[in-house]
Amino acid sequence: MTVSTAKEDHLRLENIGVSFGSVNVIPSLDLSVRKGEMVAFLGPSGCGKTTTLRMIAGLITPSHGRIHVGGRDITALPIHDRDMGMVFQSYALFPHMDVSRNVQFGLKMRNLAAGEIAARTKAALDMVQLGHLAGRKPKELSGGQQQRVALARALVIQPSILLLDEPLSNLDAKLRDEMRVQIRALQQASGITAVFVTHDQVEALSMCDRIVVMRNGRVEQFGTPTEIYEKPATAFVANFVGRTNRLKGTVDAQGNLSAAGQQLTSSAKLEPGKVEVLVRPHRIAMQPAGAGKAAEGGNLVQGEIASVTFIGDLVQYGVRVGGDEIMIEEATRRCAPPFAAGDTVSLAWSAGDTLIYPDKDQ
Amino acid sequence: MEIHKTSWPMRVLVLVLFLYLLAPVILVFPISFSGDQVLQFPPSFWSTRWYTALFQNTVMLKAFWTSLTLAVVVTILSIVIAVPAAWTMTRTSFFGKEFLFNLFTAPLLLPTIVLGLAILIVFASFGLLATMQGLVLAHLVVTLPYALRVLAVSLGTQDRACEEAARTLGAKPLTVFFRVTLPMLTPGIVAASALCFLVSFDEVVITLFLTGPRISTLPVELYNYVFNQADPLVAAASVLLILLTLGVIMIVERAMGLGKAFVK
Repeated sequence: MTVSTAKEDHLRLENIGVSFGSVNVIPSLDLSVRKGEMVAFLGPSGCGKTTTLRMIAGLITPSHGRIHVGGRDITALPIHDRDMGMVFQSYALFPHMDVSRNVQFGLKMRNLAAGEIAARTKAALDMVQLGHLAGRKPKELSGGQQQRVALARALVIQPSILLLDEPLSNLDAKLRDEMRVQIRALQQASGITAVFVTHDQVEALSMCDRIVVMRNGRVEQFGTPTEIYEKPATAFVANFVGRTNRLKGTVDAQGNLSAAGQQLTSSAKLEPGKVEVLVRPHRIAMQPAGAGKAAEGGNLVQGEIASVTFIGDLVQYGVRVGGDEIMIEEATRRCAPPFAAGDTVSLAWSAGDTLIYPDKDQ
Repeated sequence: MEIHKTSWPMRVLVLVLFLYLLAPVILVFPISFSGDQVLQFPPSFWSTRWYTALFQNTVMLKAFWTSLTLAVVVTILSIVIAVPAAWTMTRTSFFGKEFLFNLFTAPLLLPTIVLGLAILIVFASFGLLATMQGLVLAHLVVTLPYALRVLAVSLGTQDRACEEAARTLGAKPLTVFFRVTLPMLTPGIVAASALCFLVSFDEVVITLFLTGPRISTLPVELYNYVFNQADPLVAAASVLLILLTLGVIMIVERAMGLGKAFVK
């Protein structure tokens, strides 16, 4: 995935913040989204991602800070003048209007000519392949169809930004996969700048050009999916995005790293003190005891398998090393898992896969 | 295939309860077709003379039209007042909102006889006794709490995201209200209207204090009539009232289903 860096910033949040009563939901946020890119706000519930989205839409007034779109300060602009296309988690289709009147709503508010309204409505419905259902009421549609109507209604006004608030969370898993692809394709085809709020890392990683990982109203990391996954800036990001092993470790004065009773190596910079050591489960190669060998400067530890869990495309092994348990994932082959509980094995991973973060909890 | 097989003692119990509740209402039907001079059951012979008598009774007819006009006016005013009030209660926040809401719905808790007496005292000094305006005002005191409560619940359970969606699509607040909030409120408005109409049409206690020879409502006239004579004319009137009530309820049912309108 490539991100063109030449494009200018389209949306810019400047020192934006909001408090509800005495609760400081978002202390201060600075963020820029480039023209035509799709950015995910990713984080657990209560991290402020939806609040931020609603501030962009104008549904929440920030306590301080400015919002710029296309170089224009829109902080004081009322919602109806902001020109945002928003897709809500509940879709928020107007129940008393049929599909085509739902889609027309924004165009009518813009006082366009009847012919143009009809043409753009039809084009929008065709775009989401719902032309044949134009006369249906929302309650006569399936969840996925309602979702597409909501999308058409938001896109038909050709908004300056498309805002998506957890748009896939009410769909079943299979439909979610389809809609992920469809939404991304529509966004890329129209070249619209989009902000996508989600708590699902798969949605963020697979659909978006860049991801803002948020926690407690602050930005933990802002980067491309690869950067977020491969070079998580904090232990929180590493934990939230993808699965990971999390061990307590120490770095002594000589810069030697140890965790789970083993000497380990890492390509990260080591500062003496307590640290958290994170290793992704599928980056660990497992072999029968004695057979494994470490790569140049890599890690090699011995352990005993405590648990084997078959989950279809993966087998998860829990391996006891020192006082800790390390999880390992392997793709399944057409045979029973090659290891069983009680086997002693050796685990190998490279220094580059050993992520080190200062231990803040203690 | 019977999933719920009700045991027979239960069926009997339910039947007895229903009979107990409905017997007086059902009894009115045969009595209204009585040919007798006095109220008695069973009638000694059948006729429709009391229906004829009812439609020739100018006092009753006049009272009926008064009641109908009153109920319609009161219903319209209740809705016109309660919709913005319920909107304010559910869409804005200001100091003392809870208190105001409770104050508005308080008449529901007061004994109507106390309310009637209080209204009599106040209205006497304003010359509102035995006037249409007076009756409308008095009935509003009783119907508004119902309308406010039904509409506030309706508005409170509406998906606010629909209003927000309309705003992001470019609708100004007033447009949002008329094109999204109000149409979505239709079931609530129908339910509240039916309730207000029936409450007003049926009101006796407070109305008794305010009516006189100049103006009177049907329930009050029926009450006065029974006081003086005991012929089956009132039974004929009752039958028509029951049918009217059923008609209103069926309109609501047709419009959206009773459950949806009242329970929601």
